[in-house]
Amino acid sequence: MASANAWVGQSIKRKEDRRLLVGDGQYLPDIVLPRMVVMGFVRSIYAHAKITAIDTAQAAALPGVRTVLTGADVKHLGSVLSDMSTPNLPGETKRPIFWPLSIDEVKYVGDPLAVVVARDKYTLEDALELVDVEYDPLDIVLDPEHALQPDAPRLYPDWGDNVLYHQHIPAGDPDAAFAQADLVVKERFRCHRTGGQPMETRGCLAMYNPGEGLTLWLTTQRPHIKRHLLAEYLNIPHSQMRVIMPKDMGGAFGTKAPLYREELLACHLAMKLRRPVKWVENRQESLMNVGQGRDQIHELELAVKKDGTIIGLRDRILADCGDARTAIYVGFAMPFLGAMYLINGYDIPNVDIDLTCVVTNKACLTPSRAFGSFAGRFALDRAVELAARALDMDPVEIRLKNAIKTFPHVSAVGVHVDSGDFPGSFAKACAALDYDNFRKEQSEAWQNGRYLGVGFSMGVEISGVPSEVLVPMERQPGFGVATVQFDAHGKVQVAEGDSPHGQGHETTIAQVVADELGLSPEDIYVTYGDTHSGPFAAGTIGSRGASYTLSAAVLAARALRPKMANIAAHLLHIEAGEDDFVFRDGYAILIRDESQRVPIAKIAEVALLSPTELPPGMEAGLEHTSHFEAETAGMHSCNVHAAQVEVFPETGEYKIVRYVAVDDAGQPINPMVVRGQIHGGVAMGIGNACMEEFIYDENGQQLTTTLLDYHIPSSLDLPHIETIEHNVPSPHTPLGSKGKGEGTPGMVPAAVANALEDALQPLGVKITDLPLTPERIWKLIQAAQSKE
Amino acid sequence: MKRSIGITINGEVYEETVDQRLLLVDFIREVAGLTGTHVGCSVEGRCGACTVVLNGKAVKACLLLAVQADGASVLTIEGLARDDALHPIQDGFWEKHGLQCGFCTPGLLMALYEFLQNPKHSDEEIRTAMSGVICRCTGYVHIVEAVKHAIATVEALSPQERKEWFNE
Repeated sequence: MASANAWVGQSIKRKEDRRLLVGDGQYLPDIVLPRMVVMGFVRSIYAHAKITAIDTAQAAALPGVRTVLTGADVKHLGSVLSDMSTPNLPGETKRPIFWPLSIDEVKYVGDPLAVVVARDKYTLEDALELVDVEYDPLDIVLDPEHALQPDAPRLYPDWGDNVLYHQHIPAGDPDAAFAQADLVVKERFRCHRTGGQPMETRGCLAMYNPGEGLTLWLTTQRPHIKRHLLAEYLNIPHSQMRVIMPKDMGGAFGTKAPLYREELLACHLAMKLRRPVKWVENRQESLMNVGQGRDQIHELELAVKKDGTIIGLRDRILADCGDARTAIYVGFAMPFLGAMYLINGYDIPNVDIDLTCVVTNKACLTPSRAFGSFAGRFALDRAVELAARALDMDPVEIRLKNAIKTFPHVSAVGVHVDSGDFPGSFAKACAALDYDNFRKEQSEAWQNGRYLGVGFSMGVEISGVPSEVLVPMERQPGFGVATVQFDAHGKVQVAEGDSPHGQGHETTIAQVVADELGLSPEDIYVTYGDTHSGPFAAGTIGSRGASYTLSAAVLAARALRPKMANIAAHLLHIEAGEDDFVFRDGYAILIRDESQRVPIAKIAEVALLSPTELPPGMEAGLEHTSHFEAETAGMHSCNVHAAQVEVFPETGEYKIVRYVAVDDAGQPINPMVVRGQIHGGVAMGIGNACMEEFIYDENGQQLTTTLLDYHIPSSLDLPHIETIEHNVPSPHTPLGSKGKGEGTPGMVPAAVANALEDALQPLGVKITDLPLTPERIWKLIQAAQSKE
Repeated sequence: MKRSIGITINGEVYEETVDQRLLLVDFIREVAGLTGTHVGCSVEGRCGACTVVLNGKAVKACLLLAVQADGASVLTIEGLARDDALHPIQDGFWEKHGLQCGFCTPGLLMALYEFLQNPKHSDEEIRTAMSGVICRCTGYVHIVEAVKHAIATVEALSPQERKEWFNE
């Protein structure tokens, strides 16, 4: 029988916080090893140029400098991308050839072309200044539409064009749908370059000795995946490659999922110098190289019937992938998944999606929270809004008409959505906003010269990605895995192969395992991050913690109960099995006579410290590893967000007066943690949609390389974010739990844009481009007024 | 160029000969070994993760040289708790889930330490007090709740307890 405790569903305080609150967190920059040296990069100051000369002599001669390498010194390592580290997607793919340092030619501002190793970071900074590089600038291509032109400069001349990836995704009969449409909405939407940017930048520390091989401490979301790719690239046995994500990491949001050129170099240098080599990226480098996501143009058409039913969709998507020189994602895995998820929570049967991914002289796109789908979510939910306006329909009504209604649902392009309830979520959002009354208030406000608006978005959020999708996409498994292992004192270690960094696994996994085993979360400790002490797993990506990893921990704990019962029965000298016991309050309790009980700590002690007391023939130990794979090709959470705004047309400034997020966590494990995930996702969504933009000037110089220029929202920039639960348990996880938080930013841009446009209805403004800066809104108002 | 300086951090005196260009944040992290103070930007002073309390005032330790702090008294995140008892602001963050990855948290706590000595109550005032430190994880909602929790705790303290918690 199951245990009878109920830690699941409780907002208990997080176990990880005690160390973090007193300054005892253990982040990558905090690690210091004897004989350690530090590494830094000389990076291109041109967007595209031939390197005609590099003079490293002065830098190398500076006291304290250990070595200086250029591209020529690392060419023998070979090109970075292999079959294993390149997405294996349907469609036409090209693969750039490149090395950890660029050789002969640089392709974006920030491109690493030389590396310096020094005894300390001050000496390193001096030495980097002394490396003299001569360039011969080449023509550049910065605009993705320009990149498609026959006369555009080429990043990779042997390709014949700048197309990195192309795929056509047809479903149903879109031509017939458009022929039958009463209304066709056709619009071009542009989403700018923005994304993750965690507060801790990237970093690594590589250590080598010929016996054990390489140990790499790395800021990563995927230690096991990095391990096998690093071993492959460095041509060392897998047994000689160990990757450790430090106990703590200052956020990632997707940016620490790819394999980067810098970490390859740290490993190479540690082997070459036989000294520990450390690299801590500075913020300027970070803003030049990572967190640049989104960046898509959508030419989207909807075929709509008079009653608001959307019967067809065409979308021509153009994604600007930058230079495409990072491994695993190579800049195009994100737009691919975004295209697959375009129709999302809508049930649109006839679809024609054409995705073209091009290279330009910018940094490679990196994954960012709402992987690939941020731009498409904006485009589709904007187009639906335009359709509603054209038909004079309420924006809620048109969404309810087209939302997925029956579950499980398989979308026209094959995405499985297991469970959800859009009508219920809309009802809660409308109630929270007092929507009917708001419309009256809005009319009055317009009469008084005030501009209030409300906007909705709806969609599904990935709750982990199953092997069925991840193996073909990234050549990696999607299963969740956990080892649940009693120690000799009745405490339980849960080892996971993912690498949490703020998501609260130490707490939520402890809650579920405590329930399964009749213990308290205090009795459970969760370990992670080290490839040599945790099971192989895909990593902390795509909201898979509460869906896949946590479910594996539940199954592994459950698997221990028969043995625990057998030991308890033996100690009580009775005949009984698992079904005869309940595990509660630290005891195995006989259900038919609750006075008959054995402390769980005693069971563990017998299994480990005094196995002579075990039933005859029973193997010692009390541990189990489970691999969880959902019996479906996709689990999702179904969500509705709404923004209420007031716009000040004189300046284009606006205020998000309320932001209401109705989210589906299936069965929340720790509701407070779930709320935190949603708050953070919405905050990033607002930052990305309204304030943040990576800007390149006409020469390809990146103008946003400090946090003063790339504006991550402060506490004064964001509204209070209201969260409302509307949970529909997943039928495919043991507890009904769903992952939460990764896809959340994707809900935001359409909700805010729809609200702004709604507020400005009397002025006839149409919003098609992001970011939603006051300047853009002001210009739209000016343009609309000059038309009148 | 080197100079001999003395900085008191969390009540302990560190007398060292350091390069004049050594940043205070590097003195704290690398010389004193107090790694709870973090660096999140390229010493442009925007992220605020390196915020410490210097002679009673919250400052960004990446914007000061160590030699400028010669003779000063610095309080860092490691000096906030008393033995096992958490400071009211630490406790508020724990109770209200005011942190996720924890990287900005030391800076936020030190910025709010000064604020809490004469706290103001409106959400706007609380948000203004924390606006010098960027948090990328929480959207600040739970942090506002955490500060309110801390304000309530501080206001219930006896004068003696208050002195203990705010006497560096």
